[in-house]
Amino acid sequence: MALTKEHYQAFEAIVGPQRISDDPVDLDAWAWRSGQAAMAQDFKPRFEAIVMPETTEEIQAIVRACNKFGVQFKASSTGWGVYCDAGGPGCIKLDLRRMNRIIEINEESMYAVVEPYVIHAQLQAELMRRGFCCNVNGAGGITSAMPLAAHEGIGHMSGTCSISERNQLALEWVTPEGEVIRTGSLAAVGEWFCADGPGPSLRGVIRGNVMPLGGLGVYTKAAVKIYHWAGPPTMEVKGNSPNYVMQNPGNFLLRYLSWPTEEGRAAGIQKLGESEIAFGIMGFNPNMVAANVATSNEEELVLTAQYAKEIVGPGFCLVLMGNSPRDFEYKKAVLEQIIKDTGAASLKAVEEGDVHDAFVWRFIRVTASIRETMRGTGVFGGEVFGTDCYRVMSNFIQHSRVDKQDLIDRGLVYPDSIDPFITSLEQGQFTHSEVLLRWTPAPDVAEAAMEYVGKSNANAVNGHYGLPHHLFNDFQHDFFGPHTSNYTYWLRRIKKSFDPNGVSEASNHITAKDV
Amino acid sequence: MPLKDYEADMESCCRCSACKFIPLEKITGQEHSNACPSISHFDFHSYSGGGRMGFGLGLIRGRVEYTPKTAEVVYNCNLCGACDVSCKYGMEFDVLEPLYAVREGCVENGQADPAWNKLVEAMEKQAPVTVGSLGKRAEWHKGLKVKDYVTEKAAVVYHAGCLASTDAAGGKVAKAAASLLLKAGLDVGIAKNQELCCGGRSYEMGYRAAAMEQAGLNVERLKQSGATELVTGCAHCYQYYKVLYPKLGLDTGLKVTHITEKLAELVQQGKLKPTKAVDMTVTYHDPCHLGRLAEPWIGWQGVQRERHFRVYDPPRTLRRGAHGVYEPPRDLLKSIPGLRLVEMDRIKEYAWCCGAGGGVGETNPEFAAWTAGERLAEARATGAEALVTSCPHCVRNLAPSGSDLRVYDVVEILDKAI
Repeated sequence: MALTKEHYQAFEAIVGPQRISDDPVDLDAWAWRSGQAAMAQDFKPRFEAIVMPETTEEIQAIVRACNKFGVQFKASSTGWGVYCDAGGPGCIKLDLRRMNRIIEINEESMYAVVEPYVIHAQLQAELMRRGFCCNVNGAGGITSAMPLAAHEGIGHMSGTCSISERNQLALEWVTPEGEVIRTGSLAAVGEWFCADGPGPSLRGVIRGNVMPLGGLGVYTKAAVKIYHWAGPPTMEVKGNSPNYVMQNPGNFLLRYLSWPTEEGRAAGIQKLGESEIAFGIMGFNPNMVAANVATSNEEELVLTAQYAKEIVGPGFCLVLMGNSPRDFEYKKAVLEQIIKDTGAASLKAVEEGDVHDAFVWRFIRVTASIRETMRGTGVFGGEVFGTDCYRVMSNFIQHSRVDKQDLIDRGLVYPDSIDPFITSLEQGQFTHSEVLLRWTPAPDVAEAAMEYVGKSNANAVNGHYGLPHHLFNDFQHDFFGPHTSNYTYWLRRIKKSFDPNGVSEASNHITAKDV
Repeated sequence: MPLKDYEADMESCCRCSACKFIPLEKITGQEHSNACPSISHFDFHSYSGGGRMGFGLGLIRGRVEYTPKTAEVVYNCNLCGACDVSCKYGMEFDVLEPLYAVREGCVENGQADPAWNKLVEAMEKQAPVTVGSLGKRAEWHKGLKVKDYVTEKAAVVYHAGCLASTDAAGGKVAKAAASLLLKAGLDVGIAKNQELCCGGRSYEMGYRAAAMEQAGLNVERLKQSGATELVTGCAHCYQYYKVLYPKLGLDTGLKVTHITEKLAELVQQGKLKPTKAVDMTVTYHDPCHLGRLAEPWIGWQGVQRERHFRVYDPPRTLRRGAHGVYEPPRDLLKSIPGLRLVEMDRIKEYAWCCGAGGGVGETNPEFAAWTAGERLAEARATGAEALVTSCPHCVRNLAPSGSDLRVYDVVEILDKAI
């Protein structure tokens, strides 16, 4: 439903007249959708108003008003993902930009407490000054550092630090009815060190398998684990944008390794996990390496061709960080042994000099994700698969290779290499895979992308590979539910219980239909 | 170009919000990590580079109209180009150029700022475009023995700029600059009381036709001068002559140089020798128009040569702010005995704007002052005793009465040392 004057005035009374707008200029700024997983590049439904709260109390009041009026809301921070958009009319946007405080960095207990609009690059920089770091989402340093703001939170440090589910500690949550719930230690003793006790955990409710993506209230503050950092407090970076080059402090090393077979890559990942030497690790194909190094699309084409000649098969990128000269030498020696034992080839073009040093910092700060996904074609999508053991994911992506090659052969997506993205989590205990498709928006391509996701879903079911992570709506949930113990029954009951009026807009989560 | 011509660029915005922050590799803490004064002050997404792409597409497609609210959002932007630099770290499309085009749309649709309507009318009468400057062209060069290039041949034209005519501090700097050029033995000429506004600020405010007319007058006069080099005292004028004129298809035929470039060259050649110590710790503020916006104009038109990958025929090279005038002013400061230069967090291509850009100084002085306040706080954090810059607009906006931080033009400091 459209906002009435009464509704608008009620929201205005909460945040003040300068912090709410229903002008088309402000609404269309949020309505344009290009880029991520966009089946078609176009305007999405406008929000009825943009509201900019600054505190948990304001959010609570807005959410209660939404329940009273039957108006939907959707909160988001920097706004990259499609899940930040309105699913239809009758929804207001809670733009959390004003909630950008780092509440606490606790060096003793090794956590940081952040609000939603603190971005990873900011938090990482503050932590590095104190000798710590955090896992930065693969989506990039530009995304929210809150470990619940987007999807799984798989990043370049997930090999050692895992994903957001493991890094989230205590949480403050405004439920879809406007109740403020504090979880874990925050509820019991007012401290942020634990997500699961002695207060209520609610981890499964809050996160689910793939996060509610804006469809289950608003997460207003959260604690995130922080980790040891052996680099300098600030990284010295020379040059002008986009040609930045890190002054290598001497204890970082980056390699892109490839193997002739998927078996070889699997063996490499296993040995790296066992040795625990990698600070960062991420599955890249030659095109993703080129996108990191190249500062333009023209250069990316040239480098992709150059790297493809040298790369022998599936590969990944890794960074070593030495805690001392002796530790660094040890890690380098172990890496050399693993390369030798598994028959890996190291991409010479990124092994040394400015290219190496620039890539190291880009990899740690995670600044090239936009280059990898969006710069080349403007739009990317594909499948986002699950988190399981390496062999399961490795087998699954064999199907994805075939299906992507089919789209390439038909000229429907950019032929950027069929090698899927697959990365090790928790020292090889788990693995996550995705397949990146990039294309120029057009109806035939949008149709093909949907066809691809359909094939991927069928592969998952027929091969018993588990649930993917691209469960962004009712359609996907309804497809997988019957194959997976009808989990949708319970997920919808959770949604209904916490959001009886259906005001937390759930077009990218699950609705409580049929409950 | 009309806004419609930038449609494909604007469609490329994936709303990643990179435009709101300095390039991520340069972030050293949460403080001073913002790039864009407009979104930092007004918060709504529409005030960011990305948001402006969104509603710009709305304007093209008739979803949004040119209204007073549109104008309010459009003109509360410093046009500083920081969003453009941050975006182009990762992406390949123009963010800044559509912002100029949407201002033209505001003028065409009767939504220009009334204050600027008056100023442009004044300029069309061949007066400077700065408030209160009418009839003051003759003041800054009083007592200076310098040629009038309108009537005498000179190898080098020194263009002081409108602020030199209206602002006492600006006039003092212009006089010092011309004196230094003469001291170095250059054959310098100025237009004295006939100097024309370069027209650039009217272009920035959306008055393309008026800017073109004014620029045409300048081109004609400069061509007739017989000079080979045009030295500008004002960073804005520099950017307009160097970048805007070629963008508008105009060519003066003269090499365009900023005063800091010329003075650095003269110091390097030993024609000017800073010998007197200036015992001071300073920090340098990069003016947007001398820095990221001063990269030479690259005109491009072409077609995408592959269906799915954005490479073009001919190849498209984007201006990314890397090739601005960053080192000459620093070289000058470093050449001064006793002077210590300390850098702020945001410098060069990702410097924070002084607040005066985009006509904001005239249309929204409160926002301009807020932006300046942010910069002054950043400068103070370096421990510097003074902030030095090389643009009269920056000096004026950064030096409000009562400030504890002294603000100088580089030329003033160099003048003290020679």
